[in-house]
Amino acid sequence: MKRILASVTDGKGFDIGLVLLPLAFLFIMSGLPLVYNVVMSFQEVDMFSLGSFVRPFVGFKNYVDLFSQPETRPILLNTALFVSSSIAGQFLIGFGLALFFWMNFPGASWLRGLFLVSWVMPGLVVGAIWNWILSGDFGVLNFLLRETGVIEGNIFWRSDPNYSLWAVIIANIWLGTSFNMILLSVGLSGIPKDLYEAAELDGANALQRFFTITLPMMRSTIGAIIALGLIFTLQQFDLFAGITSGGPNNSSNVTQYWAWDLSFRQYDFAKGATISVIMIVFVMLASVVYVRSTRHEVRG
Amino acid sequence: MSDQLRNRVMLAVALLLAAIYLFPLYWMYITALKTGSSMFATPPKFLPSEPQWGIYAFVWESRNMGRYLWNSLVIALGAVSLIAVLGVGCAYVLARYRNAWVDIGLFLILMLQVLPASLMVTPIFVGFSQFGLLDTPRFAVILAIAAKSMPFFVVLVRATFMSVPMELEEAALVDGNSRIGAFFNIVLPLARNGILVSAILIFMQAFGEFVYSKSMIQAVELQPASVGLNSFMGPNTNEWNNIMAYATIYVTPVLAAFVLLQRRIVSGLTSGALK
Repeated sequence: MKRILASVTDGKGFDIGLVLLPLAFLFIMSGLPLVYNVVMSFQEVDMFSLGSFVRPFVGFKNYVDLFSQPETRPILLNTALFVSSSIAGQFLIGFGLALFFWMNFPGASWLRGLFLVSWVMPGLVVGAIWNWILSGDFGVLNFLLRETGVIEGNIFWRSDPNYSLWAVIIANIWLGTSFNMILLSVGLSGIPKDLYEAAELDGANALQRFFTITLPMMRSTIGAIIALGLIFTLQQFDLFAGITSGGPNNSSNVTQYWAWDLSFRQYDFAKGATISVIMIVFVMLASVVYVRSTRHEVRG
Repeated sequence: MSDQLRNRVMLAVALLLAAIYLFPLYWMYITALKTGSSMFATPPKFLPSEPQWGIYAFVWESRNMGRYLWNSLVIALGAVSLIAVLGVGCAYVLARYRNAWVDIGLFLILMLQVLPASLMVTPIFVGFSQFGLLDTPRFAVILAIAAKSMPFFVVLVRATFMSVPMELEEAALVDGNSRIGAFFNIVLPLARNGILVSAILIFMQAFGEFVYSKSMIQAVELQPASVGLNSFMGPNTNEWNNIMAYATIYVTPVLAAFVLLQRRIVSGLTSGALK
């Protein structure tokens, strides 16, 4: 007993204790729910059996039902469109801004940091602000687009099924751009300056330098950022709650919102769990890519 | 001379870019100050003609914001304390050793970091309700947020511990400190700043958390400000100046803290996410 105590205060036991307690917490609060999620996706769960531990197993019925629903396909396509457009927009704008702020001038790093306010704001507030900016009759975005001649009539961003998903995408691009930019800036500052000096001496112009030095040197950073972008866009929930609530008629619904909607609006917890399982598998695959592309740095 | 000119031009362009990017924020502040009719004017006014400063007090009273913000504060502080107590030690051990176990632990933690809250809330809700945790809904939300955010905190703090030289700790051990003594007297004080910045980041996230609170807290008296904002925004609302005033009161403290600590937050964030 004394030996164990001594080990906890002054030996290996100290380290093991420090790491086991949080891991146990994470196991109970994240690991078990993950397993429970899979179990529920094979069960019949309704309001009456919610509180009981014994529920009938139904095999793959939930999965079969899910994929025979008419809205499943459009929602999966919406998710793909939401994720790819958001990542593309965030990355391209973020990269442009990062390249601009990379050219050193007084105040650059402070101003660059200021962009990150979009990232620390509560997601629902961002949703509320964009909801108002994108409003059909009185929205300031429609006004600016009209004045510059891009559009003729007002676009009803939130209520037109053709635009509702794009309303959330625009807001999400705004939200994620700053994070992309900051991480890309870190990658850019890691490129040795003498590479550029050498290239300049050899007569390479700015475009050539970008494609032969910047892009290849940024490869692992870019991989990590795209994977992180995938992870973050699949986590995006608040903007849907704040702007369109998935409507009208599911035209802006995506899986991560749909899973919640099924569980907490339609009380179909089994279906909600089923979508969760599918999406979590997907997210985990993405995170393996992320972990792999940052592995040497994680160990470093 | 031409260098100076170049710097000025660059700075002007940078300011312009920042202004465009931060326009939504400006629009929130301006809309809050507009009257009910000037809010819907076409063309919209980019400067309010008669700022309605009274709106903040009005919204604070009518929406019961004190209560909402208090709940947000309770949830955020609870989550941050729980995360800090559990996460600091974990990050320390993961920074001090380099072996297969640590790699496995890190891998698991990185995997847990990516689970979307809106997908995890279904099993967590059902499980918590079976164990009666939903009777204390704010505590349930604190637990859920802690599980969600702790991995990120561990990754950030681990980067801080890596920069504390091991030799200092060894010297303390040689001088007769126990492991606990060396940890609390030497390592923790040296890593204090990094831990603090990470905790602030986690606090900001928890302060704006929505999914868990919306799903698990049914009683209005216990709901945080994010849920309050959500119920304020009905589908056909036209109270946008009031909503923007609500949003202003909600985010201004967060924004102020961010601008003050900007440099530290940005460097802490980047060191954890990529390096």
